[in-house]
Amino acid sequence: MATLNLSSLQALAFHRLSSSFPQSTPTLSFNFQPKPFANPRPISLKPYVSEKPRARVVALAVKSLGETEAVAVSPEDGQSAGELPSGSGVYAVYDTNGDVQFIGLSRNIAASVAAHWKSVPELCGSVKAGVVDEPDRETLTQAWKSWMEEYIKVSGKVPPGNESGNATWVRQPPKRKPDLRLTPGHHMQLTVPLENLIDALVKENKVVAFIKGPRSAPLCGFSQRVIAILENEGVDYESVNVLDEEYNYGLRETLKKYSNWPTFPQIFVDGELVGGCDILTSMYEKGELASLLKK
Amino acid sequence: MSSRGATAVLSRASRIRSKLQTALEATVLEVDDVSYQHAGHAAVKGSSDKETHFNLNIVSPKFEGQSLVKRHRLIYDLLADELQSGLHALSIVAKTPHETNPSK
Repeated sequence: MATLNLSSLQALAFHRLSSSFPQSTPTLSFNFQPKPFANPRPISLKPYVSEKPRARVVALAVKSLGETEAVAVSPEDGQSAGELPSGSGVYAVYDTNGDVQFIGLSRNIAASVAAHWKSVPELCGSVKAGVVDEPDRETLTQAWKSWMEEYIKVSGKVPPGNESGNATWVRQPPKRKPDLRLTPGHHMQLTVPLENLIDALVKENKVVAFIKGPRSAPLCGFSQRVIAILENEGVDYESVNVLDEEYNYGLRETLKKYSNWPTFPQIFVDGELVGGCDILTSMYEKGELASLLKK
Repeated sequence: MSSRGATAVLSRASRIRSKLQTALEATVLEVDDVSYQHAGHAAVKGSSDKETHFNLNIVSPKFEGQSLVKRHRLIYDLLADELQSGLHALSIVAKTPHETNPSK
């Protein structure tokens, strides 16, 4: 009982530590989600009235929202390459009607706007950006607060994207597909021959890559290159780790006979072997792979 | 016996070169041992043979009209014994003479 309690406490401590770690990473890029305001019209001292030196420094750190010019976001790719700064600071996203949708802070304003455009292009018409020269967390937060307060003062409300519970503008971590497993485990007796499983797999999926190691961390350079190419193509593909002796036991030898190809990785498209890393690379560089994947 | 002994003495690179040249009548045959680049390679751990990775650059009229998959398969078939005895991976460039000199 004592041991269990100790483990439980350690787990909690670890969780606390791991959850607090991102907070201290200066390179972290994030969008701050504010707590809901108790009063939609908060009473706040104007910067020029306050005698506190820090407030003045913050006021100098970033232009006011009203003074900042808006930059149109390109309808093609969401990039405003030379116009939006890639530094740290605060930014406001306007829709095509000129209404503020979201005020955020970022370690890389251009990257954040590009990410927003990818997920909600219909809400990204133009952007105002205020670079913060000394981007510690407190200064960034103060700059963000000053823009929020300025907007609330003018409009009497919080931007829709900053309302409590609105997750539209929160950056979603990319989800990696898990590798496929051909069997329930090494100890299980197969009722279907492995070559039949392979055959069904490559014919039921557009793209299947048999690689050495998991797709998240391939164990050989050739498999790594294949995964990089498929990711660049943006194609939906399945991967199978041929070194997984627990769930893909016997796959390597069976697959060599099935495909008449003695090495790995092996890439199948539309049920047919395309080849290994060299051929995939060659097709990718010539643009043939993109054509094949569009059929 | 003598041929078997000769085989044992030849390096893997020499054996690869000999097999490919005999079958493909190559105008260009480059066989580069790049095994050192894969030292410590996780997937090769336990392999006592140190000649495991080769880059091949082959120009041969035998590749005329053959797809890349068929060319690579042809090469793999010729080197089946090597692949069975520790050869781990090949990087292959396989072209016809016409592909290397399109103006001819």
